[in-house]
Amino acid sequence: MASEDEISLLVIVVDVNPIWWGQHAQREPEFTLSKCLDAVMVMANSHLVMTRSNKLAIIASHCQESHFLYPSKHWKAGDVTGDDASSGSGDGKYELLSVANDLIAEEIRNLMARTQVKGHQTDTLLAGSLAKALCYIHRISKELDAGQDMKSRILVVKAAEDCALQYMNFMNVIFAAQKQNVLIDACVLDSDSGLLQQACDITGGLYLRIPQKTALVQYLLWVFLPDADQRSQLVLPPPVHVDYRAACFCHRNLIEIGYVCSVCLSIFCNFSPICTTCETAFKIPLPQMMKPKKKKLKAAN
Amino acid sequence: MAALSEEVLLVVKRVRQRKQDGTLYLMTERIAWGPEGKDRFTVSHLYADIRCQKISPDGKAKIQLQLVLHTGESTTFHFANESTALKDRDAAKDLLQQLLPKFKKKANKELEEKNRMLQEDPVLFQLYKDLVVSQVISAEEFWASRLKLNSVDHALSNNNKQEVGISAAFLADIRPQTDGCNGLKYNLTSDIIESIFRTYPAVKQKYAENVPHNLTEKEFWTRFFQSHYFHRDRINTGQQDIFSECAKQDEKGLKSMVVQGVKNPMVDLMSLEDKTLDEGYGSLTALPNSSKTVKENSNSAIIKRFNHHSAMVLAAGLRKVEASSDQASETSSTDGNSRDSDFFQPPIKKVKLQEAIEYEDLQNESGPKTIALNLKKSDRYSHGPVPLQSHHYSTSQDIINSVSCIQEEISCYKPCLTRVMSSSAASSAITALSPGGVLMQAGAQQTISQLVSTDVQSELKHLYTAAGELLRHFWSCFPVNTPFLEEKVVKMQSNLERFQSTKLHPFQEKIQREYLSTNLTNHVEEMIQAAYNKFHAWQTRRMLRKT
Repeated sequence: MASEDEISLLVIVVDVNPIWWGQHAQREPEFTLSKCLDAVMVMANSHLVMTRSNKLAIIASHCQESHFLYPSKHWKAGDVTGDDASSGSGDGKYELLSVANDLIAEEIRNLMARTQVKGHQTDTLLAGSLAKALCYIHRISKELDAGQDMKSRILVVKAAEDCALQYMNFMNVIFAAQKQNVLIDACVLDSDSGLLQQACDITGGLYLRIPQKTALVQYLLWVFLPDADQRSQLVLPPPVHVDYRAACFCHRNLIEIGYVCSVCLSIFCNFSPICTTCETAFKIPLPQMMKPKKKKLKAAN
Repeated sequence: MAALSEEVLLVVKRVRQRKQDGTLYLMTERIAWGPEGKDRFTVSHLYADIRCQKISPDGKAKIQLQLVLHTGESTTFHFANESTALKDRDAAKDLLQQLLPKFKKKANKELEEKNRMLQEDPVLFQLYKDLVVSQVISAEEFWASRLKLNSVDHALSNNNKQEVGISAAFLADIRPQTDGCNGLKYNLTSDIIESIFRTYPAVKQKYAENVPHNLTEKEFWTRFFQSHYFHRDRINTGQQDIFSECAKQDEKGLKSMVVQGVKNPMVDLMSLEDKTLDEGYGSLTALPNSSKTVKENSNSAIIKRFNHHSAMVLAAGLRKVEASSDQASETSSTDGNSRDSDFFQPPIKKVKLQEAIEYEDLQNESGPKTIALNLKKSDRYSHGPVPLQSHHYSTSQDIINSVSCIQEEISCYKPCLTRVMSSSAASSAITALSPGGVLMQAGAQQTISQLVSTDVQSELKHLYTAAGELLRHFWSCFPVNTPFLEEKVVKMQSNLERFQSTKLHPFQEKIQREYLSTNLTNHVEEMIQAAYNKFHAWQTRRMLRKT
């Protein structure tokens, strides 16, 4: 059993890119953003219920901002007004959960209501959301009492595709997470994401691309609910093979063997006598000429 | 029986070995023992085989001598003659002590070297076992390349052995023990004697003069310890003491040291005086009396003695061994200061002064000149190894539609947590996640390391090391320029074939018998085949050239 002192913080980063979800809703109407949010909420409730000392945060990753759905700045812990009508179904649920659920719903409604359409911003700001998650984890770990341990992990529920422009930020976040011993898990709904695969590999988390979106909550509870210590006792999907090949600077093809400039470390797929990045000139020594020798032997014979 | 040509050096009767009476014979090249009444020797050891001898301590009733051989065995002889046992044993011990060093096995240095290398490196040892013991290649070939490396290192290290200095406490180490009845026992080892001689050449001189004609060694040392020279207060009582001269010489040496002073201009001994704040807290300008009290006098004697002793120890350490033959110049040997005066010739002095004044850290940095990195297209780095993927290009109309669709949906969002998932969806997800399911396929394949047992793995590793070694020799022969290399190539080819037949094929058969379907030895086969191909190509080319 977990000791009383150990706190487990789960930060769920949900990809709520309205453009992708809107397009997806037209393709597959049975799994909508609402259902996805429901699944995430079940997962969040389960996490809070597992141990009294578990903590939770949910971040919505939008294409214009990253917003904390839970905990909210406007809400204080003791702020439960005796307003039964608005506190959900009144089914005797643990108050923390019902309050949390209501809060999340309200926040996502507000977030979507204030979305403005901007043509050039269509990518999910995932790197920024992860950075915010790391900052939150850092803040909470500073607020602990002396003698309390905290284990944290980030669960990313990803829908849209990778954005190549965020590569550097993403890698920085991953290495920062690795240094902070924060696991990054990834549950991918649609297309494989190389960046998240790398993130999971480097930080020691789990990467899963689910075949059935309607059973999202089952996958979340089965694979991502147990924390790192418990995972070693369970039989979970094996790690994916990550493609770490570099891409050449000239064509951006993934290559296995290439040429590297020794001055600026840029990678090329073909040899060129001048490095196009730093303009250093290179010479490759040619193999020795064999022909004159043979001629001599022939002449001797 | 003893060969007639052997000369018997010592015969000791009444020596028991293994509870049998007999006689001990010491001959020129061996020691032998035969039981009473018999003609043969049952025990015979060459001096070359004996590593060391041991004797039983003096107090014991049984007087024994034990011989330990190089192989580790030991033989014990018990001297049982009542009256002369101790004398016999000591005579035998002394003779052995003289004879053994002559026959000490001039240990074959190379053999020792090889053994040491094999013991230190288990990989090398395994390689040796695989290749030489199973006669794939001969021992000379194996050692040919290896020994060269080590002999160079050793030659260098042997020449630069440092000399061992003298411990300043060697006199204190003597540690007299009370003898029970008012006597003192001093234990002198040869190390201490050597230290005394090196530090005090005067004593060495006395020793050379008096021993062995006037005094025995024991008497000399007894007199030494008894003389007041050795003791604390060197009050010259005027007795006839051979060491009183030494005391006078020491005084002379000390005076000359003081006169010479310290040559190092960087050291100022005069500023080391004790300056105490006397009465008046330093306001009195008058110098205190410089007359010494009686107590100070006796203290000054012992302090002088300590200083002298330390100076002698230092001087002995600095003096080279060859220079000790030069005993005429007493003064130059009593202080190590004379070296300093050589050191402080003007140019060196200048450098030393410079060093003392300047600090490197505080000066301007003049690091090596570097060339700045000049990047023209640095945005290439920020893209990272993510290949350009084909985006779906959404029209702006699409975007507007999607956003508005979502906004509508979420504006009336109410979490309905009782109907998140259907049971059929859940069960199919569970099936996919169970062992054997869609998502668990990759883990089902076991790695080869789990399938193959560890001893097969280690054998494979040894095969690889051995094959690697042979192939290294083979490939280093190319290009074949000299007839020596030609021979070597042919030999290595035959070695490889032998290796394949004696080591590789049995291993392959063994794993086939164990029904391992994985081809563990494919790579080794490929490597050997590549070597064969090269050999055949070279051979055909050689034939063509000849014809």
